[in-house]
Amino acid sequence: MPEVKPEMTASDRYDIAIIGAGPAGMAAAVIASARGASVILLDDKPRSGGQIYRNVDASPLDKPQVLGPDYLRGAELTAAFAACSARYLPATQVWHLGDNGEILCSRNGATLRLTARQILVATGAMERPFPIPGWQLPGVMSAGSAQVMLKSDGLVHDNPVFAGTGPLLYLIVAQYLRLGVPVAAVVDTTPLANYFSAMRYALGAVREPAMLLKGVGLLNEIRKAGVPVYRGAQGLEVIGNQSASGLRFQSGGQQHEIVAEQVFLHQGVIPNLNFTRALGLEQHWNPGQLCWQPALDQWGQSSVAVISVAGDASGIVGADAAERNGRLSALNMLARLEKISLAERDQQASADLQALASLNAFRPFVDQLYRPLDSHRIPDNPDTVVCRCEEKTLGQLRAGFEMGAREPNQLKSLTRCGMGPCQGRMCGHTVSELLAKWRDEPVENVGYYRLRSPMRLLRLAEMSNFTELSARDALVDTLATEVKP
Amino acid sequence: MKRSSKADVVIIGGGIQGCATAWQLAQRGVSVAVLEKDTVSRHASGVNAGGVRLLGRHLAEVPLSIAAMKRWHTLDNDLSGDTGFRARSLINIAADEQDLDTLNKRQQLMHSQGYFHEQLIDVKELRERLPHVADHCVGGVLSLQDGYAIPYQATLSFKRAAQLAGATFYEGQEVKAIRKLGNDWLVSTHNSEFEAPKILNCAGAWADLISVMIGDNVPMSYSAPMLGITARMPHFATPVVGAVSRPLSFKQFENGTVLLGGGAKGFADRANNRTRLDYSLMAAGARNAIEFFPIMKTASINRMWSGLEAYMPDNLPVLGPSARSENAWHAFAFSAHGFQLAPIVGEIMADLITTGGCQFDLEPFRVNRYERKVL
Ligand SMILES: Cc1cc2nc3c(=O)[nH]c(=O)nc-3n(C[C@H](O)[C@H](O)[C@H](O)COP(=O)(O)OP(=O)(O)OC[C@H]3O[C@@H](n4cnc5c(N)ncnc54)[C@H](O)[C@@H]3O)c2cc1C
Ligand SMILES: Cc1cc2nc3c(=O)[nH]c(=O)nc-3n(C[C@H](O)[C@H](O)[C@H](O)COP(=O)(O)OP(=O)(O)OC[C@H]3O[C@@H](n4cnc5c(N)ncnc54)[C@H](O)[C@@H]3O)c2cc1C
Repeated sequence: MPEVKPEMTASDRYDIAIIGAGPAGMAAAVIASARGASVILLDDKPRSGGQIYRNVDASPLDKPQVLGPDYLRGAELTAAFAACSARYLPATQVWHLGDNGEILCSRNGATLRLTARQILVATGAMERPFPIPGWQLPGVMSAGSAQVMLKSDGLVHDNPVFAGTGPLLYLIVAQYLRLGVPVAAVVDTTPLANYFSAMRYALGAVREPAMLLKGVGLLNEIRKAGVPVYRGAQGLEVIGNQSASGLRFQSGGQQHEIVAEQVFLHQGVIPNLNFTRALGLEQHWNPGQLCWQPALDQWGQSSVAVISVAGDASGIVGADAAERNGRLSALNMLARLEKISLAERDQQASADLQALASLNAFRPFVDQLYRPLDSHRIPDNPDTVVCRCEEKTLGQLRAGFEMGAREPNQLKSLTRCGMGPCQGRMCGHTVSELLAKWRDEPVENVGYYRLRSPMRLLRLAEMSNFTELSARDALVDTLATEVKP
Repeated sequence: MKRSSKADVVIIGGGIQGCATAWQLAQRGVSVAVLEKDTVSRHASGVNAGGVRLLGRHLAEVPLSIAAMKRWHTLDNDLSGDTGFRARSLINIAADEQDLDTLNKRQQLMHSQGYFHEQLIDVKELRERLPHVADHCVGGVLSLQDGYAIPYQATLSFKRAAQLAGATFYEGQEVKAIRKLGNDWLVSTHNSEFEAPKILNCAGAWADLISVMIGDNVPMSYSAPMLGITARMPHFATPVVGAVSRPLSFKQFENGTVLLGGGAKGFADRANNRTRLDYSLMAAGARNAIEFFPIMKTASINRMWSGLEAYMPDNLPVLGPSARSENAWHAFAFSAHGFQLAPIVGEIMADLITTGGCQFDLEPFRVNRYERKVL
């Protein structure tokens, strides 16, 4: 049985631990490790790259070019990361972060414990839940999951219907089409009115013309491929008994039904809150992006001294900004550790700060354009399932509210909504917005579930096998050693 | 200007003890105000392991625990509520001869006092009742009436019954000061004042602070016992399970999830309502569970948490009148086993407050039992 060291000494600690090997985490590791800090980066996937650059250097596809130019650009960053001196543990699932610098993770069937002076949470985004009637049926999947299967395993499904809104949705459809996979239809729920309401942010958007054109280009590509595109769709409903058999919706004043065994839903992404919530960081509701996000300064420093947050985990910023966020956080952490001076930090940061200002001006335009419909976020049919793990419907939640549950934790204790394997990480935003509506108060007042460790189901056998990882020790395990990509 | 309200009794603390006492008092026509700094059932009473255990109680607590157990069996009816109580029995497992020896001595002691609710079981019966128990286990002790309930539901059931009987609950009201105003107590929070001839301290892990406001010093400590719950598993254990000499405790609920306890403690920060878990101790608990029930190797932990609980050095609660002030009472420091006692604590406190006496010997629970006569 492994001995657990009672207390680690200073030299057992890492200066900086980074969670997540997406653009934010990789960029941070490159900067931080160049200034004499001991840096470790942990990521749950076998390879670096994060959501956007997943498998960029080892694609299962013959022609990864079909994934688009952005995807290939990631190769540059992954190469710089591979060349840097940061220690990298792939295939390592972090399941606990403490405000004392404690990090617990699962690797190769065992639990590793390490500590760091500064922790950067760069765990990215997750897709926004899409709670419509029938979304719990087999055959329904998020478009992002479909993309993960494509990027990691080269797996596709024939004739799916894609429904929802947002640039990522169009990108995934285009990636499918470029591979020659037939697509039954694209059901675009972007309200036509959004095109007008977004115009008031257009001034900010013209500063980033390349990004503005990207979305338009993708939609044109889809139309040219001959895929039926339904605009301004609403009232989405998955049909089927045991599994999905199609999608019903209104568009152009008419009721439509499309036959499909695969329904891929997507209405944007929201920050992955697992750690930032469990750590108790101060959070705010972002009314533009309709999501919770941690309160941070321009360096990504949170309300807890040892914790910084960068990339989409800090608020939805996109891959380019994520990379810049990552560098800024790294510079700030280096300054906090007195590896560089404040003057040096500011000087090194100026280009990224400037670029971010321009990117940030573009954001409100995208957020407004692809703002998901209220009716697709806040269900009103009593039979719609809100919590898929425990199969709790809107009607059952409403009953809990009637019994006196006013905030998410009380509702959870009364109804078991959010008590299943995902621990409310999926339904949390829906529940916050539902309670706000019922209470007729801002979402900010309602709050969120108290998330707790572990961040994912943790096998008892894995947990019972507990070892310390010192910054000085080499890691001895049978997993492929620390291959940089 | 502070809002001011009057009641016959002010109860400080909306945990299960405060709620149970409010219910008893309200039924007797006493007007009750319960003041809770957070929300009712937010602390130990809502997040505990739900063990309704008579087995292995300290002798001083046995009469209370027996009476409480009787009430649990009819509680849903009495409260018109759903506490989630299930009488599934409780078995403490003996892992070796030394454990059996411990059990035999306990049995003699219990019989000498006239208590017969703990039954020794041999290895054959152990395996019949717990087919998945590890091979090395040699026997155990069984209490048939024991079981579990769902803590949050149980506490809220008391609260709702109390409200129906006329008690008033004030949430978000942290008691900051208590003083005498003529014959009455004046209890103040940030924005309100409550006036009552009688007060009861049910403030859980914060009860020593309230105690001091009333005039009683107690050597109470507080800590953060830890729990973990697994994802659903196939049904493998009906009784609640403990071990004679090992920190092991678990129960499998009807939905297949398994709650793992065992008494390991994390770190408590009561000023901020926060706790920090000690995961290396949780890991040791996981090893124990697997050692006693190999099937637990296949279990997956879904959530770990801890709650803030008050302890006395002898692990017995404080129950009874204040030593220094008239018309003030205490019910706190249940030392991680107060959930089961709640139905009887409510009755005892209501008896004391309305009649000045009760049917139990409360001497072992005196608030000043640690006060030394000489310096
Ligand atoms: C499903 C999905 C698909 C996307 N596809 C695209 C796309 O094709 N093109 C595009 O422009 N944008 C895409 N985006 C948006 C894009 O992810 C972000 O803009 C960008 O990648 C953000 O970078 P990041 O570094 O903040 O996070 P990410 O790139 O998401 O990196 C976070 C990393 O942290 C890891 N991680 C998370 N939790 C843990 C944990 N507990 N332990 C260990 N590791 C952990 C993740 O596996 C991931 O590797 C996608 C987003 C999602 C959610
Ligand atoms: C993890 C854990 C597992 C346990 N398992 C079991 C078990 O299996 N079986 C069992 O029998 N027991 C168990 N217990 C013990 C049991 O939960 C407690 O003994 C019982 O809940 C105590 O109830 P209470 O009402 O005294 O305390 P609490 O539930 O803590 O209630 C006290 C309340 O007083 C409030 N308060 C404090 N100060 C003030 C103030 N100044 N003003 C206003 N309000 C105030 C607090 O906010 C709190 O809500 C466990 C405890 C824990 C923590």
